[in-house]
Amino acid sequence: MLVFTLRRLSLFIFTMLLLTLVSFSVNFLFPGDSIINLTGAINATPNQLIGLNEAYQTNRNIFWQYIAYLGHIINGEFGLSMASQSDIATEVVKMLPATIELSLVALLIAMLIGIPLGFIAAIKHGKFTDSLILSVSMFGYSIPVFWLGLLAILTFSINLGWFPSAGQISLLFEIKLVTGIQFIDILLSDSPYKWQAFSDATAHIILPACVIALAPATIFIRLARTSMIEVLGTSYIRAASAKGLSFRQIIFRHAIRNALIQIIRHVGLQFANLVTIAMVTEVIFSWPGIGRWLIESIYQRDYTAIESGLLVLSCFIFIVHILTDFIYAALNPLARGNKYGA
Amino acid sequence: MARDKIYLEEIFPSPFMQLWQVFRKTPVAMLGGSCFVFLIVLAIFGPILAPYSPIEGQLDMLLLPPAWNNDGNVSYLLGTDELGRDMLSRLMYGTSLTFGLSFIVVIISLIIGVVIGSLSALTTGLKSSFLNHFLDVVLSIPSLLLAIIIVAILGPGIANTVWAVVLVLIPQFIHITRYAVKEESRKDYVLASKLDGASPFRILYYSIFPNITDRIMGQATLAQSAAILDIATLGFLGLGAQIPLPEWGATLANGLDLFYIAPWTVYLPGLAILFAVVATNLVGEGIRHALKVRKDR
Amino acid sequence: MNLLDIRNLSIELISDDKNIRAVDKVSLSMKEGEVRGLVGESGSGKSLLAQALVGVLNDKWHVHADRFHWRGIDLLRLSIEERKAVLSRDIAMIFQEPMACLDPTTSIGEQLIEAIDSSQLSGFFWQKHQQRQLAAIRLLHKVGIKDHKTCLKSYPHQLTEAFCQRVMIAMALARRPILLIADEPTAAMEITNEGQIFRLLASLNQLKNMAILLISHDIENITSWTNTITVMYSGQFVEAGTTSQIFSNPLHPYTRALVDSSPSANLHLPAKSRLKALPGSIPILQHLPIGCRLGPRCPRAHRACVVAPSVTNFHGHEVSCHFPLTSLKKPRSKAIKEVC
Repeated sequence: MLVFTLRRLSLFIFTMLLLTLVSFSVNFLFPGDSIINLTGAINATPNQLIGLNEAYQTNRNIFWQYIAYLGHIINGEFGLSMASQSDIATEVVKMLPATIELSLVALLIAMLIGIPLGFIAAIKHGKFTDSLILSVSMFGYSIPVFWLGLLAILTFSINLGWFPSAGQISLLFEIKLVTGIQFIDILLSDSPYKWQAFSDATAHIILPACVIALAPATIFIRLARTSMIEVLGTSYIRAASAKGLSFRQIIFRHAIRNALIQIIRHVGLQFANLVTIAMVTEVIFSWPGIGRWLIESIYQRDYTAIESGLLVLSCFIFIVHILTDFIYAALNPLARGNKYGA
Repeated sequence: MARDKIYLEEIFPSPFMQLWQVFRKTPVAMLGGSCFVFLIVLAIFGPILAPYSPIEGQLDMLLLPPAWNNDGNVSYLLGTDELGRDMLSRLMYGTSLTFGLSFIVVIISLIIGVVIGSLSALTTGLKSSFLNHFLDVVLSIPSLLLAIIIVAILGPGIANTVWAVVLVLIPQFIHITRYAVKEESRKDYVLASKLDGASPFRILYYSIFPNITDRIMGQATLAQSAAILDIATLGFLGLGAQIPLPEWGATLANGLDLFYIAPWTVYLPGLAILFAVVATNLVGEGIRHALKVRKDR
Repeated sequence: MNLLDIRNLSIELISDDKNIRAVDKVSLSMKEGEVRGLVGESGSGKSLLAQALVGVLNDKWHVHADRFHWRGIDLLRLSIEERKAVLSRDIAMIFQEPMACLDPTTSIGEQLIEAIDSSQLSGFFWQKHQQRQLAAIRLLHKVGIKDHKTCLKSYPHQLTEAFCQRVMIAMALARRPILLIADEPTAAMEITNEGQIFRLLASLNQLKNMAILLISHDIENITSWTNTITVMYSGQFVEAGTTSQIFSNPLHPYTRALVDSSPSANLHLPAKSRLKALPGSIPILQHLPIGCRLGPRCPRAHRACVVAPSVTNFHGHEVSCHFPLTSLKKPRSKAIKEVC
């Protein structure tokens, strides 16, 4: 297990370095002066400019510039946003938790709906239920997410009035910003309207989370179905049936555990997909997350923000990927071997 | 006396014919296939067949609802938008943009990806491990994010969107080609060719490629549906096709401001995207299903 | 009274173009405490037959028989669930690759405890748990595994194949079956372990009077352990009788060829001469011959063989052939017209 951890850690560090390299080189590809792209100080006086140049080592060759950049990143200095001239690091810290909250809730919904449906489709393989679930999942997979978001707003917010259509929580509630994750903040705050705030936040998160969750849910359906069909065809299920276990016992005690193990390793990949969809959905639902901020920075050509946003988002996605790798290895002792051979 | 055939002659169809036979028997796949062909025809001939120009509007026919509505006009079958442009013509032109471009994108990235992938599959050792890690990193960044970044660097515009999506799809093809080539080269028939003295390129071209083509085709349909959605999303976000190009995502974004008074300007492009993606996915499902049936035989 | 009495059991795969009869009118009967061997090449349908008996066949196979009695109960009149209930209570089965037949994510102890029948326990909830543990340990001892502590905690991939097969036998014994079907139990093992498993099965047969249906492709291997042998070829019944009858006096050309091809029969051959074997190979399911399926390969085949032969009984030695060896019926030469 130790060797596995070390190997994963080394992969993580390698990937982080690669990402910072990409983000650093993107600097030079953006139009404009690279030092300004790096720091975002568009209104700097010449003196300040000299100081910045010194800090980022622009007079030396590329390698040292990269080291200097790396140093600044590790210190947490991402520079200033070119559009708003506010410190990027603080903005990111404010907005990343909102995205995390939305993505995690969406992931949960996708897994809770997708995996059981996939299992049911596999158990009723070849029958009508199976075809029905597969066709519905194909449609869910093909709908463009922005269109779905708009339709959802039209039907549920405007025509039916069940859910609000924008924002994270109604502006009437003043919840102190502690972690950035709304639900935890509500529970931690001492406002007298705690439970109303909680239900209001829930109402705000349901619609965007469901819109985001649809495409990954269909992929989970497909994954769960393939995995369960494979498990149901193995020898040990046949031996268990010969042993005298009832069908229900077989499914719940043996099949589900083995099928889930195969699915977990894909959760990491799906999460990346999910975060991308979340970015577009944040724009539609005006959710104060990092995706919307990133897209707005792109409109405004705010290169510093784009760079930092890319770095932070990719870092977040990769951490989740590694975590799921760990969980998979913990559950399945056979998977701790070498991932990449020759 | 001439003897009639006593024994039934066993015809063994080639792998592609087997694939096509199974594909033909699945009605849903054939439906998807015919829609796909219809879209390709529309993409090529759309500009000729469209009744009106997608760019110039008739100023006296603003915001007409579709023809089945009471206020609609039959000569503007799907209604018009806020500048008087006919929705049907816009959608038809848009087919050649969104669908046609996605097709071209897939072909370009397929060629480049397969070449790089198969060449890299021949390497082993440290280079291979490094490439594996690199691909893992690139594949873990979501495709849309990468496309957005590339467009941010190159600037908005439909040509840049095409390049961005090509660059994003190439790693997927590299990955699947590498995986498929490595899997096939473990099999004994490749060993037989190697023992015969064939050079690696010859093995690749004559032995391995014919056997992985179907897997690559399956991936190509997946890539195409992703490409359609990516091009449309970039168009929607304003980073792709610029005004007044009638790309489906951009048309949808256009109709956003008038959502409540003219909802058809939002419904129709969305339905077009849905139709194209469903057709592509049905074809892809058909190919994958036929592959599985052929393998089980 | 016969334990198991099957007459003309057929297993078919019904697809749109044609029906494939994987098992064609096979009859089998077993007495209490008998060890019967079921011999045939791979593809002869013996595993299908065994799986049909226990009831774990896929839904795509259709099973029908003229007579299917278990301990006097006519199983054809019962519904599928009742049939499965009766059969799974009294018949247990062990499979070919024991490691693959154990759930890789559950420990052996849990899987063994699952197999233990709750109705044999008594008492309260916590007492039952204790009893289950004791029963599991007892079962492991019965199959010869002394170190039960390590065994109960380990996972299947940490054990050897022979060990796993013992665990499978222990799980099969948990329900105190009257018949144990062993489907090529030693195919995945080394020869030394094979002997251990067979000795275990023989001791179980003697001590508990448990009938065993031993399925194998190697006739020589099982002759020392079985009382009676049934031979199958390509889904058809070929010959059945006591071991000594089959070995010393095979009546069917196929059985003769099987016996002749075993190493002990070839000991006296001169050096560098050909081994005695039947030319050709077993027909594939898509191209089954009509009538007797050995027809194309049989050295004594004649026109009469296009009709499936019926079973003739010579003092308990049953054979299904138009022209059995060393019998009164001899095949007439081709010059004379055949009368079927």
